[in-house]
Amino acid sequence: MRRRRRTRGFVQVASAAASDRLRLNSFGHAYLAVGIVLGAILIYLALAAQATQASYDITHLQDQQRALLAEQDQLRYQEVTLHAPAQVEQQASKSGMQRVPPANYVASAPVAIDLQAPVGAPPTDSTPLWERAVAVVADKLGVSRDAMAATK
Amino acid sequence: MDLGLRYGAPKSSHGVPGRWRVLALVLAASLLAGVVWTRLAYWQVLQHTQLAAAAQAQYHELVELPAVRGAIFDRNLKQLVVNTTVYSAFVSPDQIPDDQRARVALALGSVLGADANKVNQTLASGAKFAYIARRFSKDKADALKAMLLPGVGLEEEQQRAYLPSIANSSLAANLLGFVNYDGQGQYGVEGYYQKQLAGTPGYISSYRDLANREIVLGTHTHKDPVNGSDIVLSLDSDIQYAAEQALADGVKRDRAESGSVLIMDPNTGGIIAWADYPSYNANNFAHTDPAAFLDNISSSVYEPGSVMKVVTLSGALNAGAITPDMVINDPGFLYVGGYRISDWDHRNHGNITYTYVLAHSLNVGAMKAMQAEGHANFYDYLQAFGLTRPSGIDVAAEDTVAPPPAAQMGDSQFATTAFGQGIDVNMVQMLSAVNVVANGGRYAPPHVVERMGTTLNPLLMAPQRQVISPATAAQMTAMMEQVVQNGSGWSSRVRGFEKDQAGKTGTSQIPVNGKYTQDEWTSFVGFLPAQHPRFTMLIVIRKPHYPGSENDWTLNDGYLTAEPIWQKIAQSIVVDWRITPDPK
Repeated sequence: MRRRRRTRGFVQVASAAASDRLRLNSFGHAYLAVGIVLGAILIYLALAAQATQASYDITHLQDQQRALLAEQDQLRYQEVTLHAPAQVEQQASKSGMQRVPPANYVASAPVAIDLQAPVGAPPTDSTPLWERAVAVVADKLGVSRDAMAATK
Repeated sequence: MDLGLRYGAPKSSHGVPGRWRVLALVLAASLLAGVVWTRLAYWQVLQHTQLAAAAQAQYHELVELPAVRGAIFDRNLKQLVVNTTVYSAFVSPDQIPDDQRARVALALGSVLGADANKVNQTLASGAKFAYIARRFSKDKADALKAMLLPGVGLEEEQQRAYLPSIANSSLAANLLGFVNYDGQGQYGVEGYYQKQLAGTPGYISSYRDLANREIVLGTHTHKDPVNGSDIVLSLDSDIQYAAEQALADGVKRDRAESGSVLIMDPNTGGIIAWADYPSYNANNFAHTDPAAFLDNISSSVYEPGSVMKVVTLSGALNAGAITPDMVINDPGFLYVGGYRISDWDHRNHGNITYTYVLAHSLNVGAMKAMQAEGHANFYDYLQAFGLTRPSGIDVAAEDTVAPPPAAQMGDSQFATTAFGQGIDVNMVQMLSAVNVVANGGRYAPPHVVERMGTTLNPLLMAPQRQVISPATAAQMTAMMEQVVQNGSGWSSRVRGFEKDQAGKTGTSQIPVNGKYTQDEWTSFVGFLPAQHPRFTMLIVIRKPHYPGSENDWTLNDGYLTAEPIWQKIAQSIVVDWRITPDPK
């Protein structure tokens, strides 16, 4: 039966080799471990500092972006205002251009309604007598709405 | 373990065995340790939640990410409203050294125009925080930043900027409304579409260091804001400006209290212009009398007067009760429900046609048409023309006064309603009703927004309600053409369109405390070209005092006050849209 060989990892091999070569005693192992931990902490701190610095840079860039966006808004407003009809007209008049005056109002026209004409023939009133009597009473009492005749 | 106690521990000089002393020391140490542990347990266990929260409050920050408010464009994609960044300056007086106060006060005064005495008082107050100036431009903020003043800070804020128009007002102020300092849309489109325009703010939850700088790469959660939708209106900014100009000129000439113009696309119901005079500057809303914000077009009602005859006669024509050429006798008055109601000129007109009735705006003819049609039919048409309920226009604060149910209306109220008195409508309702005639008998729902983001307004896709037949609409159009050619609409004629425009005047007295006064609403509604209308326009002038009207108050009528304004604006539209008359 063939015996299976157990493979050892790189770290094990390296640490065994280093241990053999350095011939460290137990204090030496402890120092080594502490050194490795310290090294790891230093690397972590360096990375964390870098990350923090990068975040400050990003914040600064964000501020810049905000300022640029504000400036863009400002420019956009200027652009839009320049195209506003009121502004266009103002600029045009400044440069000597004048609006074509609108067509004149129609001064007069022949209309069938002639306010000066004599009043026509007396109206033929077919309203029942009682209804006219009621209207006369209403007129006297001031509740008539004849003023609506003004509606045109 | 050998503690050295078991074997011959020396006794104290007082005879107390040494081990007791050690035990006493251990006990004392234990007590002290117990006190410390108890205290630790108190802080770390019992007070954990509060302390953790206090600590988090020091370095943790939840910042709202505001959504960008949607822009507003007109139909030609010209931007009407722009978001701008403005700045507010604040001071922390307790952080300003005494010897720097004068310099800070001087700088703030010179850059921001702040009163130096007031600034000095603020700086001397020793307060923690005080605003010096609010909402100023970026130029000033940049100048202030460059001075590196101690204890002075800047705060960014968003503000809407509106386009300038005539007489220090902003373009379409009454239609657009404005956005207040809390980001809430007020009035108009800004108010109606607040939710869609505002979007949804996001947030970022992050940490800050001792110097209050954000640690962006730290543990944080982040939710992006959803920006507001851009909206495209049916408004034409050039026509809007022309309307505002013509209206302002007209109101001044008529010495009127106010006036309004509403222009509509006859086919879609889209609003092309919406002008009020006087108006206000939406950029300066904080210093404007709130009464100016109220919009006279959709938020106030009026009695339409004879413009209503278009609705009355259209209904009667459509019901087959009358024809344009039908002859009636008009003695100049009619008794209805115990009232004698006259024509405007108090004259006997004899035998006349309904075309004549409309052209010369005769009340008796309108009442007779209503009577021929019948009360029930008349009321049905009022409903069908949209005069008994809100128009549903997408502008904040539409106001309407519904007429009473038909059963509660007396004969006289039916009669007066037939010629537009005793019924209250807003301008949107009235123009939409008359627009039925221009739109081949169909009711086009009035609206302002054509598109929101990439979504088309569903109203544009919905089938339109057929109110009267196309044949009736054509008959009414012909009758309204006669108003312009031979009747009271003569002063609205646009050069080149004299034979190709339709219209109707309206004049009605304003009731005060239940009684009609000599003050009037005068109006004119019309469309052109008559056969293929490109726009429908309604002008209303409130309380005109036309030159000479002191002696003859009929000079305030619509043909002298409203029609010239209509003509002027129509002329601008004809030129701007290159409209040509219909070939005959």
